[in-house]
Amino acid sequence: MRDGAPQIDQEVATGSRRAVEVAAPVGGGPKPARIAVLSPLVASQIAAGEVVERPASVVKELIENSVDAGAMRIEIELEQGGIELIRIMDDGCGIEPEDLALAYAPHATSKVKSAAELERIPTLGFRGEAVASIASVSRMSIRSRTPMQESAFELESEGDVLGKAKPAAGSRGTTVTVRNLFFNTPARRKFLRTIPTEYGRCVEAVENAAMAHPAIGFTLKHDGRVTLDVPPGQGPRDRLLAVLGKELESELLECSADEMDAGRGMTMFGLVGKPSIARGSNKAQHIFVNGRPVRDRTIMHAIAEAFRGLIEPGRYPTAAILIEMDPAMVDVNVHPQKAEVRFRDGSRVHQAVLHAVRAALAKEDLTPRAESMVERLSGLAQRPMWGGWGADAARAILPAHGQVQVASSAMPSAEAVEQDRQKFAEYFARQQPMQGRIGYASLQQAMSASEAQPAASLMQPAEPELLMPPTPAKQVLQVHKSFLVTQDEAGVLIVDQHALHERVMFEFLMQRVMKDGAGLESQRLLVPVVVDATEVQVERLATLTPLLNKLGMELSAIGPRTVAVQAMATFLIEKGVDAGEVARELLEKAESEQGWQSLKMASEEVVRDIVNMMACKAAVKAGDAMTQTELADLLALREAVDRSSNCPHGRPTTIRLTIQDLEKLFGRT
Amino acid sequence: MKVICDRAALLSAINAVARAVPSRSPRPQLQCIKIAAVKPAKGGGELVVSGTDLEVAIRLSISQVEVNQPGEVLIPSDKLRQIVSAESNEPTLTLEVAGDHVTIRGADATFKLNTYPVADFPPLASYAETVAQTSAAPRTRTNFGIGAGVLRTLADRTLFATAKEQSRYAINGVLMKRDGKKLTMVATDGKRLALCNGGLGAGSSKDDKAVSAIIPTKALQMLRDLVGDVEEPVHVVLTDSQLICAFGGDISGKEPARATLTSNLVEGTFPPYEDVIPKEQDRRVTFDRDVLRSAVSRASLLTTEESRAVRMKFSNTGKQLHLSSRAAEMGEADIRCDIAKFEGDDIEIGFNPNYIVDALKVIPETEVIIELKAANKPGLVKAGADFVYVVMPLNLT
Repeated sequence: MRDGAPQIDQEVATGSRRAVEVAAPVGGGPKPARIAVLSPLVASQIAAGEVVERPASVVKELIENSVDAGAMRIEIELEQGGIELIRIMDDGCGIEPEDLALAYAPHATSKVKSAAELERIPTLGFRGEAVASIASVSRMSIRSRTPMQESAFELESEGDVLGKAKPAAGSRGTTVTVRNLFFNTPARRKFLRTIPTEYGRCVEAVENAAMAHPAIGFTLKHDGRVTLDVPPGQGPRDRLLAVLGKELESELLECSADEMDAGRGMTMFGLVGKPSIARGSNKAQHIFVNGRPVRDRTIMHAIAEAFRGLIEPGRYPTAAILIEMDPAMVDVNVHPQKAEVRFRDGSRVHQAVLHAVRAALAKEDLTPRAESMVERLSGLAQRPMWGGWGADAARAILPAHGQVQVASSAMPSAEAVEQDRQKFAEYFARQQPMQGRIGYASLQQAMSASEAQPAASLMQPAEPELLMPPTPAKQVLQVHKSFLVTQDEAGVLIVDQHALHERVMFEFLMQRVMKDGAGLESQRLLVPVVVDATEVQVERLATLTPLLNKLGMELSAIGPRTVAVQAMATFLIEKGVDAGEVARELLEKAESEQGWQSLKMASEEVVRDIVNMMACKAAVKAGDAMTQTELADLLALREAVDRSSNCPHGRPTTIRLTIQDLEKLFGRT
Repeated sequence: MKVICDRAALLSAINAVARAVPSRSPRPQLQCIKIAAVKPAKGGGELVVSGTDLEVAIRLSISQVEVNQPGEVLIPSDKLRQIVSAESNEPTLTLEVAGDHVTIRGADATFKLNTYPVADFPPLASYAETVAQTSAAPRTRTNFGIGAGVLRTLADRTLFATAKEQSRYAINGVLMKRDGKKLTMVATDGKRLALCNGGLGAGSSKDDKAVSAIIPTKALQMLRDLVGDVEEPVHVVLTDSQLICAFGGDISGKEPARATLTSNLVEGTFPPYEDVIPKEQDRRVTFDRDVLRSAVSRASLLTTEESRAVRMKFSNTGKQLHLSSRAAEMGEADIRCDIAKFEGDDIEIGFNPNYIVDALKVIPETEVIIELKAANKPGLVKAGADFVYVVMPLNLT
């Protein structure tokens, strides 16, 4: 890949020639097809297939060159979804006129000089093949001016026909224009999708670049219309919000990790969506490592792990995570499009992301509002705010989308005041003065807004202390022995008694098993509970003993196909949990190959699984009547326990109907 | 039917019988109390009050009554009870049945209650009839007499160890075993087991073979509460499916009983309790009951639902028991208690303090012995000659 850097090294295009020498002609066989050396053009075109798939790949590669050239602003112009024209203008360092021709040559780059440098690549490009590949399948021109030059030089090409560099008018930086992509490879051109689809892909590429490089300004024009414009010099938070959509702000949690100091060589910033905006696929996860968008399993797993138990299985958290790390700690040369990276120390990255995201989730009240729940469940989730979340590729050019946006931005300012008022209420409801998304600034804003609007003075900003302690739920109504209804500052809370109790139990037990290290206290049984087992289960029992002891279970084989439960966790016994049932489930898990592997390792995951099963059995069930004291105790635990918004399976424990929701439902607004 | 009845006697009979009446039932007839007025040929009169939930039935006789006209009636239990209880100024009440309603009359009040047909009330097994059938149809498995006081002691010293809530593996009943002139009751909830022996009264032959049955916990509680005079003889008959206990009267059933309780038996097998009682305990520690109870109760203050254990260190050298407990996020307790006598080596073991205290509450003897063997082996609590209590330890973490 080759680009704007001033000097270009000459490590050059001997690759194809060497390949020819090796491929010596072979004799024999009736009429063998003669082996011929491919023309350089065809060779490049084949190589182009690796890198240049569609207009979006061109956009991505060229933006990366601009970034590597140190641009502060990058302007992208597209026509017909990029099929007709792609123009990338930057204000980077430019290319010396005499290097312009080299820019078109394959394996020519200014970014890497030796194999050793591949060990720590600070730039986005390094292979020296992008420009050559793009040039071989399009009509391209590069116009560039370095700071030292008085005027720009321009060099055009058409397929393998390279023109001569001639002076041209132009400001500092490089402009690459790519026309008629795949004009000389009709087969590839045929495979391009519709204009909206190709355009959508280009938007994704630009958005990715914009999120990855908050300091660089990006402008995207399509058919003369500006569709994205973000200024240079933004912070990561502002930039992510600018791209993902400001409306999402209240649904996003900030997480960060700065471990550079600890010598770990990694920093991280991210915004993760609350469980309520989880998606059906993981496409809404944007991960950037050193300015490079990647699909990384390690990081995606860490995110999923942090959300474990907060979202239902089969749904994926939304997240945008920016990671910066020592280039030596990450190998970027593992994928033709550089969509994957390999970490030298994957587990450290995993830990860092997991902890940061977990911490962000832990300090947040994740109770979903009934409104969004209902909308989501009824499949009406196409609120304007979702559109911004990158997945819907063609959204920006669909006229309907524009209308939706108009509708949302046309909300009366009273609505904005209302939002501020709500933020204010939430601020005090949570009693955590500095917590990510509502900082002092927004509080101030909210307070000034409430002064302007007399209705908002109901919040009594003059005496905030009175509102500080969260009012404990006084009256609790148990509905059909299944759901609890109570109120908090924001409105009505509806709690699924089993789900909440299950979460509470789960956290208690996990705390015991994992953190305290001692394991669960267990009660020996007077008469062992005898359970039928298979021979495999009996054989595997001994290996499980340490894990079982941690869980307060003591199982012993008393026959080739019989297992006796000698002891079970006190806690479970007191809840009337059936020892035989627990033992049977454990044994079944041990018998399945997958379960056995994880049980053998006694990983946190499998412990969670088992504790989850125990918690489910110990928890009150739907249909269990509870006394007022029990209800109050359970709700008090809701405040005390982490992640109480969802049961360990990820289903919500609580739904909130805010006063605003109620007012809306009753037509009072 | 028309009777004039002593109100207080009627109320206490209704209260006792109402315990067998289900508070909820799809059949309203079951939520009734049956009252039968009998006028024996030899004179006097008697009111028989009965109620049942089909599992257990209680029948009581009241003699403080003047029967003008014999008869039977089925009256909703709740209302009858409320009315008789509310007429607190009346020494007597008149009950008169006419058609499908009953009139309850005090000096200044008349209540007219709808009734149900008496035929809707399930027939209750009678002690006399069951005993009389012994020779003809040998349904009776055993038949004996016992002092009411002994019966109550046996119940008191076992009932506490039954399972508190319904669980598939718990036995919701108490084992009753009659062997010669000895009656044994055993109760367990899977974590502890209480056993108590008592002697049988007159009319029981020591040659009778051993017979056992499981009595529902609820029935044994009612049986215990029917005990008034500890000297009163109770006559018990066990069939394959039922227990019938007659208070007062005689063993043949010819003399009418003051109160009769009938209960279905619990089906199933009781755990082999004799195997559970450890035989080879090598540490034997004697305590003053009250000293021990106070120490264990105080240690239990700092236990929680998920951390029940009180750690008990029995030290022979210092003749001291050191109890300690720790509740996460709450605190710790540390208590020392004197040992009266110690045979064997030091030992450390964890117990649920409630289980120990439960037993100490029902022990009348001032001297209590705890026998132990190892930290993961059952502990034994003994008092007097008749009471044995096995309690499983908690694994200390």
